Amino acid sequence: MTPSTHADPAPERAGITFWIALVIGGGIMAFGIRGVLDNLSSSVTDVAKWVIGAALIHDFVIAPIAVGIGWAVGRGVSMRWRAPIQAGLMATAITVAIGWPGLRGYGRHLVPDNPSVQPLNYATAVGTVVGIIWAVVAIWLIARALRPRPVPATHPRK
Amino acid sequence: MRIFGAIRPPAVGPFRDDAFTSSARIERTAAILGIALGVSFFTCFATGLYSHLAQYPPSWLHLSARPAGLYRFTQGVHIATGLASIPLLFAKLWTVFPKLFAWPPFQGVASLLERLSLLPLVGGAVFLLFSGLANINLWYPWPFNFPIAHYWVAWITIGGLVVHIGAKISTTRAALRRGGADTIGATTTVEPNSDASVAAPVNGMSRRQLLATAFGISGLVTLVTVGQTYAPLRKLALLAPRRPDVGPQGFPVNRTARAAGVTEAARSADYRLEVTGRVPKPITLDLDQIRAMPQHSATLPIACVEGWSTTQDWEGIRLRDLLAHAGVGGSRAVRIESLQQHRSYRSSVVDAEQVSDPDTLLALRVNGEALELDHGAPLRLIGPNRPGVMQTKWVTRVVVL
Repeated sequence: MTPSTHADPAPERAGITFWIALVIGGGIMAFGIRGVLDNLSSSVTDVAKWVIGAALIHDFVIAPIAVGIGWAVGRGVSMRWRAPIQAGLMATAITVAIGWPGLRGYGRHLVPDNPSVQPLNYATAVGTVVGIIWAVVAIWLIARALRPRPVPATHPRK
Repeated sequence: MRIFGAIRPPAVGPFRDDAFTSSARIERTAAILGIALGVSFFTCFATGLYSHLAQYPPSWLHLSARPAGLYRFTQGVHIATGLASIPLLFAKLWTVFPKLFAWPPFQGVASLLERLSLLPLVGGAVFLLFSGLANINLWYPWPFNFPIAHYWVAWITIGGLVVHIGAKISTTRAALRRGGADTIGATTTVEPNSDASVAAPVNGMSRRQLLATAFGISGLVTLVTVGQTYAPLRKLALLAPRRPDVGPQGFPVNRTARAAGVTEAARSADYRLEVTGRVPKPITLDLDQIRAMPQHSATLPIACVEGWSTTQDWEGIRLRDLLAHAGVGGSRAVRIESLQQHRSYRSSVVDAEQVSDPDTLLALRVNGEALELDHGAPLRLIGPNRPGVMQTKWVTRVVVL
């Protein structure tokens, strides 16, 4: 028997719900595609590139990096500290991503005469949020350090 | 699908049986994040659709001028929900990532169609959140029109989401009912009736910790951005691209007079306001004549489509008074035109109900001062429940329709 890799434990039977949803959802999708073709006729390939590119960049760049970092933390950090550090890294990544246009001044460059766009020092702002995140992580780590280690059932203390 | 039994990718990298070991990757995690994202995406879709209809009202739909702050609320919710979805989408895709390498890749026609619908769903979702984030920062790294692309891709994405819900509703129900111990990725089997958090091998974050982290980051992102529309939290808006109290005269500007190319015309002594179109007696007024008309004040929000909003005290002439001055009887829709040339937002339509609203003003002043050039001096439109791009600045012509 060929072992199945990561297959859903119980492959789902497509019920009537799926087919109804496929007709409705497919219709909505077709409406959207028609809208792109009619309203963005000169840039259909650009829009397609960005939408399909978004999925590919997520699946083959962003996700592997995230999984890789998670794996590295699993290897390098003891079980006890792993969860808080993984949580801290995830929060940091999202914070930097959301602050990225401000950090790089991407909007500011286009409107140099409009100081109400991105009015803050985003290096300080992002640094502050990241600092708060790691303060929470530190508290979580301390709480774990203070908690007695669970006694493994298979190795009872002598 | 026997062929997939014969052809198999080599058991390396993500195709290895033990490639993904996190005990947080279980169907229950995917189900909970999926429900949250379903709620957030439909909220974004509904509020986005409202914003679209407010800007391009179809003839069959009338959008009320009241409540005055409705657009401010719906658009604030649109941007806040979109930002809060970023960590949830990331966590959800991380949870189901091993399924990308599932073998066989599909089992039957339904499974093939379901997997194909994931491309517009995932690509569309990532695109919508990324392009929305870039747009609120006024950053446009693509060669197409943002609002049109964001709007139509939203339809494609929501279509994909409907298909996905149809495909996953029974898995989701089952996962929530029996504790969702089914693992995604790791082949470690878990007794169907056991508590997953006890039985599954713990490697890094648990399911609960992952969910708490994802929702926690979502809350954090909201806390440090929502102040751009919710003034009491403005000091916390560290990651927001705008502060509602920063800008000339204490509030933000979207397009400056210089960027719009109207500096000279707006300052000119030759500035005139025309009332034309279907009017009994077309009129042309200079600034002194406008100032001599009865002045009224209104406290109204200005709510940008990019998600910032702020309430200010405006003062000027009522639009309906101006029409009466030109001999227009009753209430009529008008098109307000700016000194600005050649841009899509240089004019906006005010429908008959909004024209008759006593708070719909052509404002000369804000917060007791003459308007600054970047806020639309000498004269700007301000009315209840209108998207910011339709609060036309540097008004020079009112065309009665």
